[in-house]
Amino acid sequence: MERTSRISAALIFIAPLAVLVALWAIIVPVLEVRPQIFPSVAAVGKAGLESLIDGSLVRHVMASVSRVAIGTVLAVLVAVPLGILMGVSRGVSAFLTPLMRFFSVLAGIAWIPIATLWFGYGFGAIVFVIFNAVFFVVAYNTLLGVSTIPMTLRHAAASLGAGRRAMLTDVLLPGALPNIVTGVRTGLGFAWRGLIAAEMIATDVGLGYMLFVARDFYQTEVIVLGMIVIGTLWLLIDRLLLVPLERATIERWGLVST
Amino acid sequence: MKSLSLKNLAKTYFDAYKGEHVTAIRDVSLEVPAGEFVSIVGPSGCGKSTILNMVAGFIPHSGGDILVGGVPVKGPGPDRGVVFQSFALFPWKTVLDNVGFGPKMRGVPKARRDEIAREYLALAGLSHAADRYPNELSGGMQQRVGVVRALANEPDVLLMDEPFASVDAQTRMTLQDELSRIWEERRPTVVFITHDVPEAVFLANRVVVLSKGKVLAEVEVPISRPRVWDRLVADDEFKDLSNQVLALVRSA
Ligand SMILES: Nc1ncnc2c1ncn2[C@@H]1O[C@H](COP(=O)(O)OP(=O)(O)OP(=O)(O)O)[C@@H](O)[C@H]1O
Ligand SMILES: [Mg+2]
Repeated sequence: MERTSRISAALIFIAPLAVLVALWAIIVPVLEVRPQIFPSVAAVGKAGLESLIDGSLVRHVMASVSRVAIGTVLAVLVAVPLGILMGVSRGVSAFLTPLMRFFSVLAGIAWIPIATLWFGYGFGAIVFVIFNAVFFVVAYNTLLGVSTIPMTLRHAAASLGAGRRAMLTDVLLPGALPNIVTGVRTGLGFAWRGLIAAEMIATDVGLGYMLFVARDFYQTEVIVLGMIVIGTLWLLIDRLLLVPLERATIERWGLVST
Repeated sequence: MKSLSLKNLAKTYFDAYKGEHVTAIRDVSLEVPAGEFVSIVGPSGCGKSTILNMVAGFIPHSGGDILVGGVPVKGPGPDRGVVFQSFALFPWKTVLDNVGFGPKMRGVPKARRDEIAREYLALAGLSHAADRYPNELSGGMQQRVGVVRALANEPDVLLMDEPFASVDAQTRMTLQDELSRIWEERRPTVVFITHDVPEAVFLANRVVVLSKGKVLAEVEVPISRPRVWDRLVADDEFKDLSNQVLALVRSA
């Protein structure tokens, strides 16, 4: 029962995408669209196969995914403690909130030019942009998470003997976790977009770079292949990693309404 | 078990909205000997929760002394267990881990604290719920866990602020029966706050009537134990005492 409903949910999710591909397969030959404008399904399939065989696709994907992973992990490691500090200290939060508001607008691609000046073209600049995109959302959501923990829970923990450390690990962190996960999910969405933009400018490998170079040679089939890979990878990360994580915390603990 | 003593306790809040000071507790002195069950009743806003929150150490007091076993209270601590009206169970911990939280804070190893938690859960007939999460339990069961969690930490004084106010009348009577039985078995020192006069009389050795931040009267409850509702509903002594306290609360 559980299994079949999952499969049917997946089918319902995939069906519109399949329709889109079918339309594409019909329209391109019927309207005789030139390959310089838009490629045929077959051409994209061939480009995909070739790039798989020569290993270039894997190289681009690995480069992009590892940058996102490292930038995100670094951002979470800094943002969560800061968010918790803001959540428990009025002073810290009063001081940092205006700064966070200001910089969260700039987060992501607006930093690309200066990041390339600081870190040069390549890994450092791009990871910095990812860090930036994830950091503010996660810090803000952590703060939000801490401030939604009912005061009575902190009182209960204190009167059961919890010190500062236990308050952090047993109350504040788990209490804020659903919000933190939501923050990571949103932040990763920003990061993924920022990544593609940054890779177009600041590197020589990665999915954004792949798109950008293909444009110079009118290789629309490579461009479309890249776009499909970018979209699919994001859906996989979101559906297989982030959504289940969000569910596990929010639904299991019944934190949806409280 | 230790005694609790309040000496000329006072509390003034600063109402930031109105920009003025509000006196919630004028002058309260109260002795609760070790192992005694005291109920505090009084009309809404008379300062019941304020007293409890000061004794728990959640808010500072403005004057007087709070002594547990002769030692002044400074902030919250495991010597004073608290049962909250809103249950205040940790939603991310199972029932077993909620109850084992106090022992965990004392550094009791996992195997031993699970054993302690199971023993206390059995006391309230909750053994079957050990691996559930709080949001999977009814309100009545959640509050049983709340009581058991406080008891499992073996506090010197147990503080309860309208713990049964948010469960239905039927469940409330069951919980009162159970609390009475557990108290008779373990004899903790208890301060129990409630709006419900029969509840206060049913449970306590002594009922304190509070009015406008002062003690209006103290009424001894010499009814014999064990106390169960099946017997007390029709008991004349219980009815007389309840009416006496009710009249005091009305006049407060
Ligand atoms: N944080 C606060 N700031 C200002 N005034 C407060 C604050 N908390 C309580 N008060 C005031 O102190 C008085 C006593 O409040 P308290 O909550 O102790 O009453 P209570 O007897 O518990 O009432 P209830 O039966 O409704 O729970 C009330 O007049 C209340 O308005
Ligand atoms: Mg109250």
